Amino acid sequence: MAETAYSSADDPALVRAAQKGDTDAFEELVARHRDKIYARAFSMMRHEDEAVDLSQEAWVKGWQRLAQFQGESSFATWMTRIVINLCLDELRKQKRHRTESIEEMDEESGGVERQMPVITTNPTERLERGELRQRIDQAMAQMSNEHRTVLVLHEFEEMEYKEIAKAMNCSIGTVMSRLFYARRKLAALLADLKKQE
Amino acid sequence: MRFGLFCVSLLLVTVFLFPGVTLAASDTGTVNIEAQLVWGTNGPKPDSKLKLVGPKMSERLKSSPFKWDHYYEVNRQTVPVKINKATTIPMSKDCQIVITYLGDSQIKLDLIGKGQLVNTVTQALPKGELLVVGGNAENSTAWFVIIRQAD
Amino acid sequence: MTEEQQLKLQAFLDGELPEKDAREVAAWVARDAEATDLLAELRNTRKALADFEPALKLPESREFYWSKIQREIQRLEPVQAPAKSPSLFTLLRRALLPLGAVAVLAVAGVFAFRQFSTQGGTSHTQVNAMLADVGAIHYRDQAQGMTVIWLSYPAEKKLADNPPASTLPAK
Repeated sequence: MAETAYSSADDPALVRAAQKGDTDAFEELVARHRDKIYARAFSMMRHEDEAVDLSQEAWVKGWQRLAQFQGESSFATWMTRIVINLCLDELRKQKRHRTESIEEMDEESGGVERQMPVITTNPTERLERGELRQRIDQAMAQMSNEHRTVLVLHEFEEMEYKEIAKAMNCSIGTVMSRLFYARRKLAALLADLKKQE
Repeated sequence: MRFGLFCVSLLLVTVFLFPGVTLAASDTGTVNIEAQLVWGTNGPKPDSKLKLVGPKMSERLKSSPFKWDHYYEVNRQTVPVKINKATTIPMSKDCQIVITYLGDSQIKLDLIGKGQLVNTVTQALPKGELLVVGGNAENSTAWFVIIRQAD
Repeated sequence: MTEEQQLKLQAFLDGELPEKDAREVAAWVARDAEATDLLAELRNTRKALADFEPALKLPESREFYWSKIQREIQRLEPVQAPAKSPSLFTLLRRALLPLGAVAVLAVAGVFAFRQFSTQGGTSHTQVNAMLADVGAIHYRDQAQGMTVIWLSYPAEKKLADNPPASTLPAK
């Protein structure tokens, strides 16, 4: 069965086989990296069904564009960029249909948080890894799509400001403002969560 | 010689690749088919009259790729189905199934929704096995028609 | 602290400043308590995020997830132009000679099986699904003894509002 034949092969070997049309090899790649691709989609969309659909769409696109993958990055990184672009497209579509609240517009200009007092204690100190993860997850869920996206692209994808600007179709200045706001908002939310306990 | 071999092959195929004709089924009886209409949801109980499916069924459904937390039985019927006789089982106002027992644990299921044929499946259904046909319902819920041989 | 200074501090943290600017910001942070505090806050947040890769698992089994991808890939593959058909006699001849041999073996197997099996019915479930719904997905869970067919049939409205039908089957 495919599982035995391919489970010990490394990614480059599987990619080469898949590029020749071997769907079993591609299926093994999907099995290996599906959680990561889904996690990235979920981080951006914060909606399970959408994340599943977009991750599947990313895999289909990955199959179609396999010939273009030349190994300039890892296969997982390449696939992650595909799913990110799909998520960004989807978020743009949703934004067109959404009425922006005043709060969101204020977020964009970075109003209140710019004047927020600095949080001098580290709200994540002495937290277990699992608990910290949960808190960050809660805090990220409360952010707007734009701010969460810029955090995901910068902190998880390690993209530079100019790459993020290109991906989000905005200026570098906007990226910097959004990132600053998102970080300060996250710090405030984490401190707030700690206070609630 | 070649033509002779060809004729023999043709004869063998005609005779032996249709065992339903030449090897008469030893099974000429009836099977009891249990059909359930089930509603899957993550939300509150959609109707106070509905009950959750049994624990074994719940476990099987939850171990599947289905993502719902609760499965409620909307309707259940156990019907004797005679061999080669299509038997219609109404499951709801808009949904009915037609079961044909083909013998040797083989069944054919026609799913009819709002008067239209939605799906046809022919497969073996030995005792203990389930055939589950499902689809999306409104508000992120799902419907399922579950077929098995009754005990 | 001005907005420009705040963003410059952030860029310093992220390694986005040219070397000369970075040195200037480092010197400023060393003498300015407010800048030191803000940098520490940004650093703490970045560190917290660095350890947070969401430990999320896809909420679908490997087989089910792949079956949907595979179906979409197949749907989008360009259709192959059919090859020129050989004559009927050639087809028959090609098919029937090996089929004849297989048939003999199959019959021998069936007789042997019937000889030794205690009841009829195969031990393997074979599905021959003729799907009126071409968007349907087929999935087999061997461990649970369950065959699942997921349809793209439109949502039923108010399923539970439809009173359960009479228990008497239609004749």
